[in-house]
Amino acid sequence: MRKYDLLGRRNFIKGLGAATGVAIAAPAMALSEKADGVKWDKEVEVLIVGSGFAGLAAGIEAIRKGAKDVHIFEKMSYFGGNSAINGGLFAAPGTPMQKKEGIDDSVEKMVADQIASGRGIADESLLRHVASHAVEALQMTLDAGAEFHPYLQQLGGHSVARTYQTSVSCGAGITQPLLKECRRLGVKTHNRAKFEGFILGGKGNVVGVKMRENYHFAEDQPGKVVNIRALRGVLMATGGFAQNIDFRMAQDPTLTSEVGCTNAPGATGEGMLEMFRLGAVPVHLAHIQSGPWASPDEGGFGYVSNYSIFNFPHSIAINCMTGKRFMDEIADRKTRADAELACRDAKGEPLPPILITSFKDSKQHPNTAKVLKYNVGWKFDTLEALAKHFGIPIEPLKAQIEEYNSYVKTGVDKQFNKNMTKAKDKYIEAPFTVVRLWPKVHYCQGGVQVNTKAQVKDSFTGQPIPGLYAAGEVCGGIHGVSRLGSCSIPECMVMGMTAARSMMQA
Amino acid sequence: MKMLNIVLALVLGGLVSLSAHAVEQRPWHKEVIGKDCKVCHDNGIKQFPSDQACLQCHDVDDLAKKTARSEEDKWQNPHNNLHYGKDLPCQECHGEHKSKQPLCSNCHTFKFDKYKK
Ligand SMILES: Cc1cc2nc3c(=O)[nH]c(=O)nc-3n(C[C@H](O)[C@H](O)[C@H](O)COP(=O)(O)OP(=O)(O)OC[C@H]3O[C@@H](n4cnc5c(N)ncnc54)[C@H](O)[C@@H]3O)c2cc1C
Repeated sequence: MRKYDLLGRRNFIKGLGAATGVAIAAPAMALSEKADGVKWDKEVEVLIVGSGFAGLAAGIEAIRKGAKDVHIFEKMSYFGGNSAINGGLFAAPGTPMQKKEGIDDSVEKMVADQIASGRGIADESLLRHVASHAVEALQMTLDAGAEFHPYLQQLGGHSVARTYQTSVSCGAGITQPLLKECRRLGVKTHNRAKFEGFILGGKGNVVGVKMRENYHFAEDQPGKVVNIRALRGVLMATGGFAQNIDFRMAQDPTLTSEVGCTNAPGATGEGMLEMFRLGAVPVHLAHIQSGPWASPDEGGFGYVSNYSIFNFPHSIAINCMTGKRFMDEIADRKTRADAELACRDAKGEPLPPILITSFKDSKQHPNTAKVLKYNVGWKFDTLEALAKHFGIPIEPLKAQIEEYNSYVKTGVDKQFNKNMTKAKDKYIEAPFTVVRLWPKVHYCQGGVQVNTKAQVKDSFTGQPIPGLYAAGEVCGGIHGVSRLGSCSIPECMVMGMTAARSMMQA
Repeated sequence: MKMLNIVLALVLGGLVSLSAHAVEQRPWHKEVIGKDCKVCHDNGIKQFPSDQACLQCHDVDDLAKKTARSEEDKWQNPHNNLHYGKDLPCQECHGEHKSKQPLCSNCHTFKFDKYKK
């Protein structure tokens, strides 16, 4: 896995030795400034920063609402951000497929589920706004040519099946069609263009941005900063900060570089930080979600994540030091992530625990073949071979499996009180498949505060900062303590569409 | 192939520039590029080449054909992949003067024969 220097500090220092010109590439120099005397290099009608779900949906909607000159700027060489690597799970209430399957759902039900998982501190008005428009967003993906599996899924924390998934089981099944649609409609897309600061009018209103062109992420190349005027406003759709280790540790010191990350490399959060400098309200920054289903044997989300999400209910997680279970395999994400991080060797170094599944059960999931093929999981014919491979003491392991299998029989887990319903009749027996587990930082609940018009609020006045809009993971507070799976896509898309509508009405 | 010939002609036509820095270069490029850095460095010598530079000689569709994989793994084709289609700029995975990792390795352990690791 690559190690990025997320704020470019190391590059900065290195760059000073190599070429002084590089100094201007340091993000520390990025600051917003007044428009007086600024020489405009370019002028656009609608300016969008970030090319994930939020930015792409906004681009399409702006054109539909009559904009003639819409531009999306993306700092990476490629478009799509986290959205292009996401799992493609999209929740919406009251969809055609729910009607077909006879599922009774409503905006109220979806909001209630989300408030429960948000532990009461979610923003109800925003959740309601998103749920009310989620079907429109889904329709936008269909109109652009996205395809979905012909069935609904009911993910953890949802009271009904309301989740669509793209037929490629990945967010790219949405970002690729949306990007094509943007271009078909005439939205101009710019890669290697990094937002570095706002340009402000007399009343503190956002009138444009400073954009570094010809930017090469994680490389020593200065590029060139241009001043771009935005006639209808600026939409920040720059995503979360899960890849920014310093900043996430400032919020939660346990999220060190030892904890991997499922996000795209560009999720470093400087767009969000710049909005804070401008006066945006920071909300819920410390609520950062780690995925306990990830593997240290591959980078990012990889193949193991979906494999283990599927297999946890009928598997056992084992601490390699002790040969014993150490958690309820289907507890909430935070409980499991903390338990995994506590698995260490005698010196205190990380010793990733393993997930043991009977091959007959694991192979029901399409990823199992890939996991074995790409050596991020293993198949063993005997428990002895398994124990030897991971250096696990065999006797305790044997005893543990026997004990667990008795819980499968009785339906009561005396060790961790796991809900054994889905483990019914699924004994842990050879041959086994095994993956290693280690949590990865996955989603940032926190960000800037917005209202239901996608306007960014000022922390002193409580009023919207004129000309500034934000949508997607860069916004905070919407989900509260914990986001429900499949609820980010509708949020990003609906808020992106909302921002475009607000800009066109302003 | 046509473009390749044009570049060859340019190089042989005496456009070979002075810059004689000992930089690492892919052996198979030496013949066509020679020492004329500008063949690729269309943004100026001190800048990375533009995302279009490699496409003077290489055709994305040809590359995609060359690296096609079986139906089961068809989306693991680096030149036409699930996440970015044929849109991924060459420099994301290829460097003329230094070795790089394929972008896929951020999340996947796919084997690509031409990469050492
Ligand atoms: C592996 C993975 C799987 C997931 N699966 C699901 C799922 O199945 N369902 C679900 O609902 N949610 C899922 N999520 C969460 C969801 O994908 C993200 O929350 C969502 O994609 C965020 O979209 P966005 O438009 O806000 O930002 P992104 O898609 O991250 O886009 C932001 C873009 O802005 C760019 N950018 C950042 N800073 C700058 C700057 N200074 N200048 C210019 N550009 C900049 C970034 O490079 C990036 O391309 C998943 C997340 C991950 C990481």
